[in-house]
Amino acid sequence: MDASILLQILISGLLMGLIFALIAVGLTLIWGVMDVLNFAHGEFLMLAMYISFWMFSLWSIDPLWSLPVSVAALFVTGLLTYRLIIKKVLNAPGLTALLATFGLSILIKNLAQFFWTPDFRHIQGAILSDKAISFFGLHLSLPEVVAAVGSGLITYLIYFLIFKTKTGRAIRAAALDRDTALLMGIDIDRIYGLTFGLGGACVGVAGALLMNFYYVFPSVGSLFGILAFVTVALGGFGNITGAFLAGILIGVVETAGGVFISPVFKYTVVFVMYLVIISIRPKGLFGW
Amino acid sequence: MKKMWVSLTVAAVILFTLGVILAEAADVIRLGSIYPLTGAIASSGLRSKHAIETALDVINNKYDLDVPFARTEGIPNLKGAKLEIIWGDSQASPEVGKTEAERLITREKVALIIGAYQSGVSKSASFVAERYKIPFVCAESSSAELTERGLKYFFRLAPTDAEDSIAFFNFLDEMKAKGKKVERVALLYENTEFGVHAAGEARKQAEKRGYKIVTDIPYPFKSTDVKSEVLKIKAAKPDVILQASLLGDMMLFAKTFKELKVDFNANLSYCGGYHDPSFVLNLKKDAEYFMGQCTFSPDFITKKPVLGRLNEMYKKRSGVDFDGVTIEGFTSVLVVADALNRAKSTDPEALVQALRTTDLKTPTLPGDAVKFDEKGQNIKIISNISQVQSGQYRVIWPAEMAATGMVWPFMPWEKR
Repeated sequence: MDASILLQILISGLLMGLIFALIAVGLTLIWGVMDVLNFAHGEFLMLAMYISFWMFSLWSIDPLWSLPVSVAALFVTGLLTYRLIIKKVLNAPGLTALLATFGLSILIKNLAQFFWTPDFRHIQGAILSDKAISFFGLHLSLPEVVAAVGSGLITYLIYFLIFKTKTGRAIRAAALDRDTALLMGIDIDRIYGLTFGLGGACVGVAGALLMNFYYVFPSVGSLFGILAFVTVALGGFGNITGAFLAGILIGVVETAGGVFISPVFKYTVVFVMYLVIISIRPKGLFGW
Repeated sequence: MKKMWVSLTVAAVILFTLGVILAEAADVIRLGSIYPLTGAIASSGLRSKHAIETALDVINNKYDLDVPFARTEGIPNLKGAKLEIIWGDSQASPEVGKTEAERLITREKVALIIGAYQSGVSKSASFVAERYKIPFVCAESSSAELTERGLKYFFRLAPTDAEDSIAFFNFLDEMKAKGKKVERVALLYENTEFGVHAAGEARKQAEKRGYKIVTDIPYPFKSTDVKSEVLKIKAAKPDVILQASLLGDMMLFAKTFKELKVDFNANLSYCGGYHDPSFVLNLKKDAEYFMGQCTFSPDFITKKPVLGRLNEMYKKRSGVDFDGVTIEGFTSVLVVADALNRAKSTDPEALVQALRTTDLKTPTLPGDAVKFDEKGQNIKIISNISQVQSGQYRVIWPAEMAATGMVWPFMPWEKR
């Protein structure tokens, strides 16, 4: 196993990991602020990918330029999900919101299959398609590099929003103690809606970037969704830095585990690592 | 007054339903069919559904085609009774397939079941059918083990992966005799009934014929990325890759081979993702030069024009040409119609007897006929090898079936 393959493993893992991280950041935000596990998060990703796909197929708009559309659409989707569904079950017993989002995920998945057929859809001929960067025996696909860099940037933006702005402080307050935040004059309803919208927006970016090199079909959300949940749990619920680092860790461990142990066990390695870390630090790497 | 209307409506509905049921019972034979209609491989499952619906159309209506039961309407010896399929969705999971089989047999009371695309699902669903003594006609699953279980009610049309492995290695032996480098073989397969079994057969042949397995890579079905698998292949530097993947993974692998610039002399696929026309439609130039086992190619149409007409009918429903998997699905309905016709009854025991004595001439499969041995395996079917050239599946082997020359080696990614 020569050094270039080793380096390739690390970097390939890092690229995929950054994308997992972005998906997870959206999820952890919602979870951390509202204690709602958005089971439909993977389906939001799928919607974002389809938006990119259709804008490219029907109107030849490159996924890079249609990215703002995906983001806006998913922000609105998140907001609507909150307003129409989550808001009504916030005060209901524990599992109701969970089941509501679970039901939503099934609805979206099957509507997608109904309208768009289960065929795999793929983009070719976009600005980034099929381009690669090669150096020192390393081959990196340009769409993946862009997706990784984009994910990193957006995660930082979210971090900045949450920790360095007034709205961010309001979000953190709502997450810490909802009733006290209410007493302090924070419009919880607005904050919750914003949070869900932001969670959707994150996934909107991830989806648009993924479309450059991945294929979309109605069930694609479940593949990424499961890994997103593990990432969030590993990083600590509600912790953005945690989700970010956990995503990268999972990406690298998955690729390395696959090469050094066996691809059949690549997810086993990830989950074993997760179990070990959780048993040492039950709240996750950086949990509150 | 209101109560009267309600009672009248209820009575009318009951009478109507009774009427429908009675009418159906006279004219329609209910068959069950289980395919992955939703979930990760729904696109492949739906294509099989379209193929079966095309067959129903041909059988139930009158067409001037040299295909069994085309020129009649319905089943002649059963007073023209038409066939109807009750669909079950396996969602690509053996557990769900099993439950669907139970539902189709116990609640929908189907006469037999056709299915199920994936070997894993065919395996579990057919165990259920066997228990209830309902025939299970498996059109396209390739795991040889399915017909080694000693089941009495199981029948399979497709070639087994044991047959395919022999075909692949006969092909490789020929290439070796021509001086081509083929000794280093990599096995790449999904970690399911289908993949594990196909790899086992490949290993048997490789050992028998003196090929070196340089790397053996099972991977989890439905991966989000296959970097680790491809990196392992790259490190092993094989001449030939024998692959058992379904559509989604196949597409990912092709892209990742390209991305990581992994070159080899040939990539031969067992019956799976390679065969779904979406592979070529989605990947376009990147699908070129992949090879796979083949029981249908548009090349066959030049030799048998009736296939062209059937293809048009199928294409109207599915948007793509027939491929080996879907034409096996199509033919399985012909086999069922033939069995019903000879049994002159929908009683499962009579059906099974009729299926066992099947000797059906049909232009739809290579071998031109379907006949089952005592294990339920179709002994008439022949596997060819095809290669994707200029966006088409061309038959390249054996020499007497080849429609065109082959491209060897697999053109390196740099040169495309």
